[in-house]
Amino acid sequence: MSAHEKYDVFIGLEIHIHLKTVSKMFCSCRAHYGDEPNTNVCPVCLGYPGTLPLLNERAMELGYHVARSLGCRIADRTSFVRKNYFYPDMPKNYQISQFEEPVGVEGLMEADLGDGGVRNIRIHDVHLEEDAGKMIHAGDVTLLDFNRAGYPLLEIVTEPDLRTGEETEAFLRDFQRLVRYLGVSDGNMDEGSMKCDANISINHPGKGLGTKVELKNMNSPRFVRLALNHEVIRHAEIIDAGGSLIQETRLWNENRDITESMRRKEEADDYRYFPEPDLPPFIPDDAFLARVEASMVELPLDKKRRLQAEYGLSPEQAEFIHDDVATLHLFEQTVRTGSSARNVAAWLSSDIRKLLNRENLSLADSPLSAARFSALLKLIEEGRISGKIAKKVLENIFSENSDPESIVEKEGWSQISNPVELALIVDKVIGANPEVAAAVRDGDMKQRGWLMGQVMRASDGKAAPELSGKILDEKLSTIV
Amino acid sequence: MSLISELWSGVLIEPGRREQYTRLVGEIDESIGSFLSFSLENPTGKPAGKGPLNGLPVAVKDNIAVEGRPLTCGSHILENLKAPYTATAVRRLEDAGAVVVGKTNMDEFGMGSSNEHSALGTTVNPWNKDRVPGGSSGGSAAAVAAGLVPLALGSDTGGSVRQPANFCGVYGLKPTYGSISRFGLTAYASSLEVIGALTRDIDLLETAFGVMAARDEKDQSSISADMISEDATHVVMLEVDDEILDAPVADAYKRTEGALKEAGYSVGKVSLPSLEMVVPAYYTIATAEASANLARYNGIRYGHSPDFSENPTELMRMARHEGFGDEVKLRILLGTYVLRSGFQDQYYVKAQKIRTLIRNELAGVFASCDLLLMPVFPTQAFLMGDAGMDDYKQRVADVFTCLANLTGLPALSVPTGIDGGLPTGVQFMAPAFGEKRLFKAARDLTDSFPLQTAPGALDIRSLS
Amino acid sequence: MARALDEWSLMAELARLELDDNEALRLAQEAERMRELFLTMSRADVDSLEPTTHALARENRVRKDVVDSFENIDVLLNASPELEDEFFLIPNVL
Repeated sequence: MSAHEKYDVFIGLEIHIHLKTVSKMFCSCRAHYGDEPNTNVCPVCLGYPGTLPLLNERAMELGYHVARSLGCRIADRTSFVRKNYFYPDMPKNYQISQFEEPVGVEGLMEADLGDGGVRNIRIHDVHLEEDAGKMIHAGDVTLLDFNRAGYPLLEIVTEPDLRTGEETEAFLRDFQRLVRYLGVSDGNMDEGSMKCDANISINHPGKGLGTKVELKNMNSPRFVRLALNHEVIRHAEIIDAGGSLIQETRLWNENRDITESMRRKEEADDYRYFPEPDLPPFIPDDAFLARVEASMVELPLDKKRRLQAEYGLSPEQAEFIHDDVATLHLFEQTVRTGSSARNVAAWLSSDIRKLLNRENLSLADSPLSAARFSALLKLIEEGRISGKIAKKVLENIFSENSDPESIVEKEGWSQISNPVELALIVDKVIGANPEVAAAVRDGDMKQRGWLMGQVMRASDGKAAPELSGKILDEKLSTIV
Repeated sequence: MSLISELWSGVLIEPGRREQYTRLVGEIDESIGSFLSFSLENPTGKPAGKGPLNGLPVAVKDNIAVEGRPLTCGSHILENLKAPYTATAVRRLEDAGAVVVGKTNMDEFGMGSSNEHSALGTTVNPWNKDRVPGGSSGGSAAAVAAGLVPLALGSDTGGSVRQPANFCGVYGLKPTYGSISRFGLTAYASSLEVIGALTRDIDLLETAFGVMAARDEKDQSSISADMISEDATHVVMLEVDDEILDAPVADAYKRTEGALKEAGYSVGKVSLPSLEMVVPAYYTIATAEASANLARYNGIRYGHSPDFSENPTELMRMARHEGFGDEVKLRILLGTYVLRSGFQDQYYVKAQKIRTLIRNELAGVFASCDLLLMPVFPTQAFLMGDAGMDDYKQRVADVFTCLANLTGLPALSVPTGIDGGLPTGVQFMAPAFGEKRLFKAARDLTDSFPLQTAPGALDIRSLS
Repeated sequence: MARALDEWSLMAELARLELDDNEALRLAQEAERMRELFLTMSRADVDSLEPTTHALARENRVRKDVVDSFENIDVLLNASPELEDEFFLIPNVL
């Protein structure tokens, strides 16, 4: 009997995302990754005496946007607190956060949890806070870079509604997709724009929550899965053996594939929350709420369902198209120009995808725009190029970064659709293959296909297939 | 332009008087110790602005940032720090023509009522050099009383402008919370404190306040509001147990009643039932906020750091051990205690509710009067050292001043003369943004209580 | 006093204050005096009142999301007790 059959498992998450603002949460320093150390700093984010936090309106708006999108009850009054603890990378030695009046509470996120089905995961709350700096350990010293200090963070806390590592990984991928749909965050766990801590407890069926263990240091959705599954087994073994768990924080060790107790000898945390006196409470007005409403977008799962229902995509195609927000946008823009949705989806999920993989490019960085994509499809539809040529045109869009029309023109890839010109080619093919022609006349339609192939070859693939076929058929029936 | 501004306006311009001024300040301040640093050179080299305060020297308490000048807060932990920016209030004064000439001594981080908690120097009372100048803006009060500057900035968290002004016989304004930006004021208790001003000239005080008061983009707790009218005819006096006050203080209080009536005011009486809760509530909130505000001083980014430490925690612990004085440590301990989870309701939240109670009581008082009259402090300037007042008694004696900080209301301490060689005074409190009433009442008392000059004070008229 | 001493030592720990023995005793005594003063607040009947957290806050205050970089970053870096290249330096976390 597996641990999951024997025990109820409860997993909750604390997800942090960096919000996409151009400046920091409480000062006007640039919020940007990868700059030289300590170049995006000022007296405010270095915690100088006399400085005061200045709330970034955009961060507040993005916070409300997420809370609203997660179906939270959004706050008609929200306020900040100081969370007190000492850490070398935290300039003020308190973090400005939210506690009793977060931007949103009691939400629900619909997620496709794979084998766990589509479920609603309850959101406890969504709150704003500021990030700390970065510590780089180098031998017996630690280097401090405060560029990240004061970066706007949004923390999303779920109820313990997840049951397995697999479900949790799927949930996280859904969540990443959500924040990218909303455009509020990059949601990259490897770059640090998204972080996830988990809490887990197990108990005998029907007994409710067990002893809670916090898990940290998981730098990808995959590690979250591995760490949680490792914990389920560890908890089950302890309970099986009649032992009891310690409420503690454990770190995922990705080199050893195990969790390890943090064993910090420091005293128990007491954050001593109290209202931030430097920031008045925020009461959203109608204009603010209208802006939040205006920024709402269709959520990923709704989108996926609509891709199938409205555009007739297969579940696989819909999954593929909705997964990545750049793919989705290209799909939607291209379809809007009148191209067939299934065609667009087919190209995106096969040739374009292969090309991106080969070139190791993301769609956003690729030279393929909606305008070029729809021009390419139009060339096919209008019979100006064949599907086969279209693939070559696509390659050239990538290699030359130019428009399909000019590629076709430059390469002389326009389809031959002049009946006189085509008739000459067909005549040449029949003339060179009299036995095959005779066989077709005798009803061997397989051989007709071979003849068509010869026509395409003789025309360097440029012969308009439909018209050429018609001419071929006419020629074969008249030369008796 | 006020008389005092005219007298001072040329001092910093003419090289001869400039030199004479610098020399006299050095001579006089040698025995008073009001300045921690003094220099007529602007370290940023930026030119002065032009306006109603042209050429006026200003002293600034050393917890307010002036770019390029020290920002010690009277503490070892910031002994070598120079401010990398300028406080909004100072910038506005400079834009109006004022010139910062030095930074004044203070109780460490504003924690104290005597200036004896400065880690960086001793300041004495210009009226009697065996006595304290008061605190925590003691250096600013002493500098003004000694005639070294016509105007000084202080900060008032629980009486830190008004009490030293009272001890030194000058005016001390604690404005409405949020009326003057706190940007650049080193935080001790953020929800209580405000930058204030000290001077011997009520017109200059009004001008300076008008220059500094503005909503500031760099302080989101700053407020723009219309000043309420200066009309004030009815004053109520807080009923105070005579035995709480030293005889000269009680006497000055009574004489003020008479002087007000003489000036045409009607004077009533009022008692505040919650007065006994004011000090514990004030210290609970002040220390709670202080424990967070002072957490940033850890020897990593700036300020004092120990010679050696094995790990970051030791680095922080030692920087704070070596950098902070007793009173600061005590208040950090208290603030940590009252904020602990499980204890908050009993202490911190209780104090915040008492704050509401007191606000309500004062709203009731101001519904039927224009100004509230109170003592400033139960004693005159006390002796320095062990012969003076013990620290606990000093804290409890904040009762009359911290009322204005808990409620955010403006208050002004006004000198009423000299008794036994030491200044006495009273304070007026007004509804929010009622500063004009405070100035008017002070003006109306000048006939009865003409301002006295401390012995040995610099007379700017003597400079030639 | 022993219990009080322990309790205030715990506060010192939370506040990252190293205290020597004399200091610890002196401060604990003074802190106990203040704690007793604080306890007098229990006499106030204020349960029905809302706490005052901001003395006179009246309006929302926000700033626009625009970058305005600080000019004198060198001054900030040079204020550090220990600097290596462009990093603030501390002993390693063990």
